[in-house]
Amino acid sequence: MLGELFKGLRTTLRYMFEQPVTVQYPEVKRPVRERFRGKHELKRFANGLERCIGCSLCSAACPSDAILVVPAENDPENPTSPGERYAATYEINMLRCIFCGYCEDACPTNAIVLEHQYELSFYDRHTSIYTKDMLLVPPDQGHGEIPPILEQLGNKRPSPPAQIDL
Amino acid sequence: MPEIHVTIDGVPVTVPAGTNVVDAARVAGISIPVFCYHPRMKPVGMCRMCLVAIGTPKVDRATGQVEKDAEGKPIIAMMPKLMTGCTTPVSEGMVVLTTTDEVKFAQRGILEFLLTSHPLDCPVCDKGGECPLQNLTMEWGPGNSRFDYSDKVHFEKPVPLGDLILLDRERCILCGRCVRYQDEIADDPVLGYENRGRNWHIISKSDPPFDSKFSGNTTDICPVGALTTADFRFRARVWELKSVPSICTHCPVGCNIALDMRHDQIKRVMPRENGAVNDIWICDKGRFGQRFVESTERLTTPLIRRNGELVATTWDEALRVVAERFATIQREAGGEALAGLAGPRLSNEDLFAFQRLFREVLHSPHLDHRVGMPGEPHADNLGTELGVGSGTNLMTLGKGTTVLVFGADPEEEAPLYMLRLRGIADRGGELIVVNPRPTKLERSATHRLRYRAGSELQFTRALLSVALAEVDTQQRTPDFPGLDSLRTTLQSIAVDAAAEAAGVTVEALRTVAQRFVQAENGIIMYGADAFAVGPMLTHDLGNLAVLAGKVGRANNGLIALLPGGNARGALDMGVRPDYGPGYTSLSQPGLSAREIWGAATEGRVRGMYVMGIDPANDFPASRGALEALEFLVVQDMFLTATAQVAHVVLPSASFAERDGTYTNAERRVQRARQARPAPGACRADWTIVQGVAQALAGMLVPVAAASQSATEGYWSQDGSEQEGVSRNGQAWNYITVSDVADAIADTVPGYSGITHTSLAQTGKVGTWGRQTNEDYFYDGTNYENTEGVGLQYPAPVEQQRTTFTLETAPIQSAPIDERYPFVLLVQRLLYDADPLLRDSLLVSHVPAPYVAISTNDSRRLGIQAGDRVRVSSSAGGIELPARVVVDLTDGSVLIPAHLSGAPLSMIQTGPRTHVALTKIAQR
Repeated sequence: MLGELFKGLRTTLRYMFEQPVTVQYPEVKRPVRERFRGKHELKRFANGLERCIGCSLCSAACPSDAILVVPAENDPENPTSPGERYAATYEINMLRCIFCGYCEDACPTNAIVLEHQYELSFYDRHTSIYTKDMLLVPPDQGHGEIPPILEQLGNKRPSPPAQIDL
Repeated sequence: MPEIHVTIDGVPVTVPAGTNVVDAARVAGISIPVFCYHPRMKPVGMCRMCLVAIGTPKVDRATGQVEKDAEGKPIIAMMPKLMTGCTTPVSEGMVVLTTTDEVKFAQRGILEFLLTSHPLDCPVCDKGGECPLQNLTMEWGPGNSRFDYSDKVHFEKPVPLGDLILLDRERCILCGRCVRYQDEIADDPVLGYENRGRNWHIISKSDPPFDSKFSGNTTDICPVGALTTADFRFRARVWELKSVPSICTHCPVGCNIALDMRHDQIKRVMPRENGAVNDIWICDKGRFGQRFVESTERLTTPLIRRNGELVATTWDEALRVVAERFATIQREAGGEALAGLAGPRLSNEDLFAFQRLFREVLHSPHLDHRVGMPGEPHADNLGTELGVGSGTNLMTLGKGTTVLVFGADPEEEAPLYMLRLRGIADRGGELIVVNPRPTKLERSATHRLRYRAGSELQFTRALLSVALAEVDTQQRTPDFPGLDSLRTTLQSIAVDAAAEAAGVTVEALRTVAQRFVQAENGIIMYGADAFAVGPMLTHDLGNLAVLAGKVGRANNGLIALLPGGNARGALDMGVRPDYGPGYTSLSQPGLSAREIWGAATEGRVRGMYVMGIDPANDFPASRGALEALEFLVVQDMFLTATAQVAHVVLPSASFAERDGTYTNAERRVQRARQARPAPGACRADWTIVQGVAQALAGMLVPVAAASQSATEGYWSQDGSEQEGVSRNGQAWNYITVSDVADAIADTVPGYSGITHTSLAQTGKVGTWGRQTNEDYFYDGTNYENTEGVGLQYPAPVEQQRTTFTLETAPIQSAPIDERYPFVLLVQRLLYDADPLLRDSLLVSHVPAPYVAISTNDSRRLGIQAGDRVRVSSSAGGIELPARVVVDLTDGSVLIPAHLSGAPLSMIQTGPRTHVALTKIAQR
């Protein structure tokens, strides 16, 4: 009886002197893997233009119908994205999203990327809808130069090619 | 036509001679990919996509016999090179191979070449998802390209071809479908090619650019995203759209359209295939002119006038007030003190409920679907009575058919008819265009005549006279009452003098009469310029059709082009003072719109219900009468000029927000579906009318006499109709719109059997049928008709139930007032100041008002283009800038109708007005 008690306590004692497995979340955050799929980000080019061209392919690829895109035409004088078209509305319903990453695969301009932010919790369903300004990276955080082909014609609004700098 | 036997990929098929290989393969269920070929147009073989291996039986030159091999089968000599399937007609014993390595190599090569200069911007292309280039590349194309992506030729994009259509030159594969469509089908040859090689482009040759009323169709048939509409540009991706079948209510053709919806918004309007109505085309007004549905100016709540202001209220209160005020007037002065106007765009259900409310509940006979303007068409019964026979399909007509277009300009009044009539002429039919002024359809006519405006009746009498002689020589005299007296009358006419008065030769008249009488099928279409003469002229056209035996059969009869999408339905439903539903005659006819205004000013009519029509705007002279009314209810989508003087305004749903049936000019009843919820508190018109009727229950003085008699009318011999009339008294308990349609089928003679159920059973019909790969002809469009093609109810003359008598009323030669020497021609325009064009791209296409005069008259009066001219008649005068038109007849002036700033009702004295011109200012 006593022998078995000490046998059990021995395990406890052994773990007292080992590194703990748990971390003190939220004070301490465990780093995620490189290919972890968390909250989406809408990327930009280095010059601040949005990469998203409002093609809705992410929304078409989405198996849980979580993405809403409403496209619009760029103002040639003051474009939002290179080319003719941009996303006027871009919303992701994070309650619906299953973080499968199909949107990222479908994106022809690498605009949407599932990043490492995973703290997604809401008090009501409305706040689970992430709008474009919540998803878009700040203008100073560029993500690559505009490929030369898009600047070939200056401000003549060439078409974005099928795949931009993969 | 002889049958030809061919073998395609081992499948034997039999097709008519003249069929090309692509269509023959389709019969066998084999797809040959095409870009430039379109079954509605002549093949040109421009894209080379349809290359196939073709062989024919070897013929011994000495004997002329087909050589046979040892087994007795004909030896096939394959042609040394691949042939284009679309330009090669089939021949007896032909063998076609579509899947050999050689063919596959060619197909891959063509697609690889087409893609060398294609920008591959599918993600931002409006065609992406319904693009033949995408589909054909997936099915027949190479997996990759040997060309360097960065070598692609880039152009500035997009280039506007017109303000409606945008061209993306990078995407264009130069199949020429758009150019050929404009040349062959629309007869607006405004597109063309420019330059050569890599700089080969489509351009617009007209000014204003892409000046065509059918331009939207080019975007449907474009096999790539080169042509897109400014209306749909970047509005949605095509796979996100839900298409709802509907009917266009802009004109009497009744085109089948599909409203492509996303999030309850109309993203675009597309045609639905219906061979009997619009084939696969629609006009630009139908395609781009439906934006009023989503206008921010729509009414959303009922309004009631309090202290002189219209303020929002609830439905309960609005309906209660309407019922109380109507009941008060009816108690004090009887039903005759109430009158109703309902617009000719509303559905049959609305119009039926409206006339029921007036005839059965309020006991008022004063109903009309017009505003009472002097120049309005009379209530035309002939379009029903002698209308084209049931089963008429203009698509199938060709050789042996003669169409007489009298006093009509289909391009402006009912655009799709122009394409249909041109099709008949193309297929070998005769197209006779008789007009007082030039029209675009004339260019396609086989015979054209211009009569002098003002002597139309001399023209028709002379025509009748020579037609009768022609009928007599052919011994095809019809058995119709009044023939003998007509013969006597016509024999007294001096044909030479009459023809000269009308400005045509007897020879030309005789040719027209011969063509029409001798034809196997004959159709007479008449429109605004014919209505400008009055019922005598349309009766003469009826006489002509009857004399020539061109009534009572399919593909024979009259087609009347009345303004308003459902004018025929309004006449059928009895929203008119002279007849009840189904042309049953009334014991006591009511007042027409024109008479209502007088009665309202005098106080005999004290209350009015105006639904879906705007008299205060269309006919400003009615304003005083409207303001004099004790109580005015207006039911409309917008706060119209009439609504602004109303006591109660009821917001109604648009055609896209409710179900309904509409009757087109050929008496085809078609159903439109609800596509979106009505904004705010808007309700369907019939629901509101029913609400008023229910609120009136118990408030009214009972009236015993039945206002409707079933003893006369076209369908009077029908025993079932008696039962129908007795059912008239049923309660107002329609729950859905199909209940109203059932009531129409039960009570309106002629409409029996036309219910939503039977309309649904007309099924998915397309004359071309679907292919193994159904996308590849019509790709980029949603032509498929899931709603059925509608039902054409029989004309009374088909059932020997017509009361038509051959007769000609004597011509009243009114003394010509020397002060007003010019005949006023009023041109109905497609793009006019129609309030329903609001918010659409077409607003900029509405011209400023003008008066057109002939070259000689302008010289004589010293008026030059741009001068301001006062046009005056005995009724009044208006000032307009002048235009000088080369081919207008001397002695007539032309003013377009319904343009803001030119209230024609100010000068019109009746259907036909004589005017004077005075120059008041130099340009």
